[in-house]
Formats: sequence, structure tokens, C-alpha cells
Amino acid sequence: MTSSADAADDRGRAFRELVEPEIEVMLRVARTMTASDADAEDLVQESLLRAYKGLSRFDGRHPRAWLLTILRNTNANMHRRQRPVLVDDTQLHRESRPAFGAAERPSAEQSFLDEELDEELHAAVAALDARFRSALILVDVHDLSYAEAAAVLDVPVGTVMSRLSRARERLRRTLGPTRLSRGGLS
Amino acid sequence: MSGTVRMMMTCHWSARRIQRYLDADPSAPLTPGEVARLEAHLAVCERCGPMVAEHRALHRALSLWSGRPYVDPAAVDRVRTFLDELTDGRAS
Repeated sequence: MTSSADAADDRGRAFRELVEPEIEVMLRVARTMTASDADAEDLVQESLLRAYKGLSRFDGRHPRAWLLTILRNTNANMHRRQRPVLVDDTQLHRESRPAFGAAERPSAEQSFLDEELDEELHAAVAALDARFRSALILVDVHDLSYAEAAAVLDVPVGTVMSRLSRARERLRRTLGPTRLSRGGLS
Repeated sequence: MSGTVRMMMTCHWSARRIQRYLDADPSAPLTPGEVARLEAHLAVCERCGPMVAEHRALHRALSLWSGRPYVDPAAVDRVRTFLDELTDGRAS
């Protein structure tokens, strides 16, 4: 094998190691930006293609934030005439539950939430201002860090923090202490 | 300054840090001194202590919420296959 083939192999291996742990989160975040699961998958694949081409420009730090920035830019390029980053389309997520029913969902323990609280949460999240909702969904639902959410939204970290804080305060007040302390959640 | 006023000022100071304390995000860490002061306050404050419990409950509820987008494991597999092809030079 030639040394250039070795280098290509190393590059491919390094890229796979960076990306593989992030596939699921990329799909989840992509799903909040697109209208269907198939579109989300296309967006992730297109983003990976771009990321691989731009690998030499990556500084090696914070791969998830790097990939999410590429995801955001790719989405903007692919759908210039469509809505910008949605993230907040909670109604869409409800309708996109798998047609196979509850048994196909990840597991009972993962998806179990008192039905009443679940409904109230939907209403409370839907009532949030879209900018606050985006920050909340990225950090509390998708478990992104402040910096990763900032990369998706293309805003400074401080903006994510203030939007998140206001979203949480509003939800906490809407749901109230009684609601939140029931169901063994606290 | 009365004890009540001092307590209220600490509540205000604490309220501005509770979420950063719970998130422990690398972008916005509290100093060890801030953590110690906050924890000391939470242990005695009847207002701020329950607020922390509510924030924890809210975060847990959101992580269990059915609005959380579902990712099909088959989609993860397909993207993984795409990644293999890409890095083997088979995709373009």
C-alpha cells in the first residue's frame, strides 16, 4: 500500500471515530429541522459528506458542535427557500411517532411519563415563544451543551443561556410545584 | 442589614445561579466558592431548595416526554453504513 493510501485510511478512520458517536444526536437534531424522517436522514448524510470534505479545517476540538454547525449550514443551503431552523415544531414530533405503535418505541422506561403531565408539558412547551422553545428543546430534550445548542441556533452561548433560563422558569411556573413533584420525578 | 434582607439578597443571588449549578455546563461553570455559597443557602432556604427540586423534576420530565423525537435504530445503521462507504471512498 502506498503512503498516500495509508494517509487516506488514517483520515477515514479518524473521521469515523469522530462521527460515529454523534450519529444519533445528529439524526435527532436534524429531525427538528426537517419535515420527515427521510429528510432528516438525507440532511445528516449530506452534512457528513461536507464534514468529510472539510475535515482538514477541523481543529479537533468539540466534534459534536462542529458537526451540528455543519448540519445547520447544510440545512440552510439545502432549503434556502423554506423555513429556517425549526427545532420547535413540537406538533410535528407528535404526529411523527412511529406508525407501528408504542411497542416499537425505545423502551417503556424511556418513554414513560404520567399521561396527564405529558399532555400538560406539550401544552406548556407549545405555548413558549419559539426562540425560548428552541433553546429548551436542544438542551433539555436533546441533552446538548450550551455551546452545542449555540452552534445549532447560530447565536452566542449567553443567548442560549438566557433563553433557556426564561423557558424553564415559564414551564416551572406553568406546571407548578404540585405537578412537578408528582410521579416521582423530583 | 437585617437577617431577612440578607436572606432575600442571597435568594436573588442564588436564583441567578441555580440553573448553571444544575447544568454544570463546561461553558459556564460556577467557581468552587459560588458552589459552596449556593449549597449552603439551598440547605436552609425554604424558597430556593424546593425550586431546585422543581428544576430537576422539569428536566427529568422533558427527558421522558413523548415530544422527544424518536430515532429509528435502522436509520442510525443506515447512516453508519453511509459513513463506512464515505470513508472507504465508495460514496461521493
